[in-house]
Amino acid sequence: MSLWRQLTRGLRVLTSRHAADRDLDDEVQHYIEEATEAYVASGLSPAEARRAARREVGNATNVREQVRDNGWESAVGTIVADVRFAGRMLWKSPVFTLVVVFVISLGSGAVTTIFSGMNALLLRPVPGITGIDRLVTLRPARADGTVAQQGSYAYYAYLRERSHTMDGIAAWGRVSLSIAAGGQGTAVLGNMVSGNYFDVLGVRPVLGRFFTADEERTPGSHPVVVVSQSFWRSRLGGEKAAIGRPVVLNGVPFTVIGVAPEEFHGIFTGLRADAWVPLMMQPQLRPRSNLTNASWLWLFGRLRDGMEVQSAQQELSSLAAARAVDLGQSVAPGAAPAVRVSSLTGLPNGEGGPLLGFMGLLLGAASLVLLIAGVNVAAMLSARYVTRRREMAVRAALGAGRSRLLRQLLTEILALFLLGALGGFMIALLATAALERFPLPENARLSLELSPDFRVLTFAMGVSLLTGLVFGLAPALQAAGRDLTSRLRDDSTGSGSRRPFMSRMLIVAQLALSLVLLVAGGLFLRALNHGQRIDPGFDASNVALASLEPESWGYDPAEARRFYLTLRERVEAIPGVEVVSYTGRVPLMMSSSPDEITIDGSIDVPVHTASVEVDYFPVLRLPLLEGRAFGRSDDERAARVAVVNETLARRVWPDGRALGRTFRFRDRPTTVVGIARDAKYATLDEATPSFVYFPLAQVWQPTQALLVRTAADPRPSARAIQEAVLSIDALLPHPGITTLREASAIVLLPQRAAAIVTGMLGIVGLLLAAAGLYGVMAFSASRRTREIGIRVALGADESSVLRLMIRDGLRLASIGIVIGLVLAGLTTRLISSWLFDVSPLDGLTFAGMSAIFIVVAIVASYVPARRAAAVDPLVALRAE
Amino acid sequence: MTHEPPTTDLIQGTLDMLILKALSLEPMHGFGISRRIEQTSRGVFKVNPGSLLTAFQRLERAGLIDAEWRQTDNARRAKFYTLTHAGRKRLDVETANWTRRVSAVARLLKAEG
Repeated sequence: MSLWRQLTRGLRVLTSRHAADRDLDDEVQHYIEEATEAYVASGLSPAEARRAARREVGNATNVREQVRDNGWESAVGTIVADVRFAGRMLWKSPVFTLVVVFVISLGSGAVTTIFSGMNALLLRPVPGITGIDRLVTLRPARADGTVAQQGSYAYYAYLRERSHTMDGIAAWGRVSLSIAAGGQGTAVLGNMVSGNYFDVLGVRPVLGRFFTADEERTPGSHPVVVVSQSFWRSRLGGEKAAIGRPVVLNGVPFTVIGVAPEEFHGIFTGLRADAWVPLMMQPQLRPRSNLTNASWLWLFGRLRDGMEVQSAQQELSSLAAARAVDLGQSVAPGAAPAVRVSSLTGLPNGEGGPLLGFMGLLLGAASLVLLIAGVNVAAMLSARYVTRRREMAVRAALGAGRSRLLRQLLTEILALFLLGALGGFMIALLATAALERFPLPENARLSLELSPDFRVLTFAMGVSLLTGLVFGLAPALQAAGRDLTSRLRDDSTGSGSRRPFMSRMLIVAQLALSLVLLVAGGLFLRALNHGQRIDPGFDASNVALASLEPESWGYDPAEARRFYLTLRERVEAIPGVEVVSYTGRVPLMMSSSPDEITIDGSIDVPVHTASVEVDYFPVLRLPLLEGRAFGRSDDERAARVAVVNETLARRVWPDGRALGRTFRFRDRPTTVVGIARDAKYATLDEATPSFVYFPLAQVWQPTQALLVRTAADPRPSARAIQEAVLSIDALLPHPGITTLREASAIVLLPQRAAAIVTGMLGIVGLLLAAAGLYGVMAFSASRRTREIGIRVALGADESSVLRLMIRDGLRLASIGIVIGLVLAGLTTRLISSWLFDVSPLDGLTFAGMSAIFIVVAIVASYVPARRAAAVDPLVALRAE
Repeated sequence: MTHEPPTTDLIQGTLDMLILKALSLEPMHGFGISRRIEQTSRGVFKVNPGSLLTAFQRLERAGLIDAEWRQTDNARRAKFYTLTHAGRKRLDVETANWTRRVSAVARLLKAEG
C-alpha cells in the first residue's frame, strides 16, 4: 500500500512537474497568509506582519527545493537532467562525438564479433531444448580409463532399464539421408533416435507427433520420420497435409509424422539435423552397420529431481561394471568400466577444449583492440576537457558540487560508450554475416549460426560500460578536479606538463599494443605461407573430389560396388580426365581412422588405414618406392594384399625387407606388395603415422570419395562428373564436387582464420594509434607555434623545423615499438602451436612490422610538422 | 551556511510523531499544525516550514496521513491533512515507545544522581 503510494505519487510528480510545483507553491503561499493573519492578530501592523511571516517561512524557493529533493523521483529527475545535458553537449560537437563513438565501436565491435563466435560455438545452450541444466551426457569409460564418445545399443538399453538416478536416458546416432518426396532426393543429415529422445530433451512438435515407445521395440517395423521446420517448409510445401505424406529415405518408403520446432536441429552445434527416424530403422537405412553391438550412439539423460551429477555417475558406473561382469569379462577392482557424466553441451565432448583455447586467443587479441580504443578515447576525452575547463569552473562557481560535476561527466562518457556499444554490435552483425559466408570446404558439412543474440548484446553493453568507467574515470576526475576555482583565473592554454606527458604515454601504449597484434598477424601469415609450401607428399593440384555415400541412398554393398564401377567407367570417358580412383579417406581432412594390424601372430601395431581403388597412387602421384600398386586382379577372391608406408616398413621390419612379409588384419593374413613414400595424412604438422592401404575390393568401405585427375583445372569437369552420377540413378541427390586442393585447405583453416582476424585487428589498432599520434603531434605543433616562430625568425629553414617535429614523433614511436617488441616477444609463444616451424620470435616478422610502424609514425608526424613549418614567424609571434 | 535558529532543534524523528499527535485531534492545515506544536510545547519547538512540508510529503507517501484541498473557516483554500487508520496505529506505537524511553532515561539519570 505505502509502496504503491510512493510509486504513484513519485510518478505523478515526474509526469506533471508543473502541477506538483504549483501545488507546493499554493501551500507555501497559504502558510504565509495564515502566518500574516496570526501576526496581525497578535498586534503587528499588516506590513510588519507580512515581513515577519516571510521571515518565518524563509526563501520560498528553498522550501520548494527542500521538499522536492525529498522524494525518490528527484534522483530520477537528476539523472534525466544529466542525460539531457549530456545529449546536448554531445550534439553540440558532432565531430567529436562521431569520432569517439566510432573508435569505441571499433574496439567493442572486435570483441563482440569474437564473442558472438564463442557464444555460438561454445556457450549458447542448445537451442529449442527446455530445462537444459538438468540434461547430462553419458560417455562410456573403458577399463583402462580412456573415455569413448559413443556406446552401443546394448550398452544403452542396459543403463536405461536399470538407472534410478535419471528421469530418462536417450540415445541417438548420425545417419546420412537422402530424402525424396517425389522426384529428386535431397541429401540431409539425419539423427536416428531412441523413442524417448524428444521427451528427454523436452522438445514438443509444432505439427503432428513425435516417436512413441512402441516405435523402439522391433527393428524395421516403423518407417516414420520427423523433419525440421525448415525442411518441411522448403521441401514439403509447408502445409499441414505434409503429415502422413509418403517420402523415400535412402530408397525405403517412410511416412512423415511430425515437424520439429523452428530452432531445433539436433544437439550438436554446426551439424544441423533435418530429419529424425527411430533407431530401429537402422537396418533399413544403414544396412552394413550393426545396430546392437557397434558403438555408434551418443547417450544423454535427464537427472531425476534431487539427483546430482556425482550420484548419477556413481550409479551408472556401477551399472557399467555390473554389465561387464554379466558379459563374462573379468573386472579388476581399480580398473572397471565406468560412465562419465557431464552437463550437455552443443559440442561433442573433448572438442570443446582446443576450440576454446583458439577462440580465447582471438578474444585476447580483440581485447587488445578494445584496450587501444579505450586508451585512444581517454586521450581524446582529456584533451576535450582541457577546452571545457572554463565551463566546469563556471558551473562550480555557480554552486555545482564536485560529485555533481563528476556524475555529469560520467553520464556523458557512459552515453558515448553505450553508443559505441551499439555501433560495436552493428559491426559484429556485419562481421559475423561475412564470417558465415567464409568458404568452408564442401565436405566439412558444417553450418554455423554465428549471429549475435541477446546474450551478445548484453556482453557488448557490459564490456563497453566497464571500458567507459575504466578509461573515462581518469579524465573525468581530472576535469572535475579540486582546483576548479583557480581555473577561472587561469588562461585557457592549460598549465603544467602533466597532460602532454600523459597523452604521450597513452600514445606509446597504443603503438605498443597494436604492434603486438600486427606481429601476431604477421606470424600467422608466415605460418600460412609456410604451411602452403609444406610438401604433403602427393600432388593435390588438378584433382576433383566428390563424396559418395551409397548407404545413404539405400544401396546394399553389391549395388554400391556396381555403382562405383559404372561411375568410374563413365567418368573416365569424360574428355580431359586422366585417371580416376576412390579412397575411403581423403588426405589432410584432419580426420583419422585408427586401427591395428598383428605381426608374427601376437604383436599388435597401431596403424591408420584407407581402403583405396586401383589407381589411387597415380591419381595422387604418390610414388611407390618398392613393389607394385594394386591391380584389377586384387579382388575379393584373390589373396589379401596391402601397400604400407615407409614409416611402417621401417618400424616393423627394421631389416629393410618389408616386401613380401605378411601380417594379420581383421584376422586375415595379408601380404605387403608395395611400399609407398611417406606423406601427410591428417594434418600438416603430424608425426608421420604408420599407414596401410588396402584394395577397396578386399576391405570394403561403403563411403568413398571419388578422385579425378584432369589434364588441367578440374573445375570445368565438375558438371560432367555430376551428370555421370545422375545418369546412373536420376533420383540421387546432387553430389557436391570440389577440388582436392580446396578440400584439403581445411588443414590451414586455423592459421587462415587467425591471420585474417589478428591481421584485421592489428590494422585497426595501428590506424587508431596512428590517429592518436597524429593528434598528439598536431597538438604539440600548435603549442609550439611561438617557439617555431622564433626559430624561423632566427634563421631556421623549413627542413630543419620539419626534422625537429618528425624527430619528436619518431621518438614516441620508437619507445612504443621497443615496448611492443618486448611484449610481443613475451606473448607470441602462446600461439606457437599454430605456427608449424615458424619461430614465435621470427626475426623477419618482428623487423618487418617495426618498419611498417616507423613509416606510419613518419607519415603521422609529417602532416602536422608541415603545417608547423609553414608558419609565418610574424603571425606566430603576434599570436600570444 | 544555513543558520538554524536555536528553538528548532527537534530530535530527529520526533517531528513526525508531533505532527501525527497534532492531527489526532482534528484535520489541520500546515500552518495550524505548526502553531499547534509551538503552542502546546509552550514555544520550546518552533517548526521550520521547509521541514514541515517535507515531513508532510514523507508521511503522506507512507500512508500515515491523507491530504486534501479544502475551504478554511476564513474562506481560503488550504491543504488539510487527516490522520489515516495506519497513522493512528503508528502514533500509538510511537507514543508507547517514547514513554518507555523517557522513563528509562529518567530512571538512569536518577540512579546517577
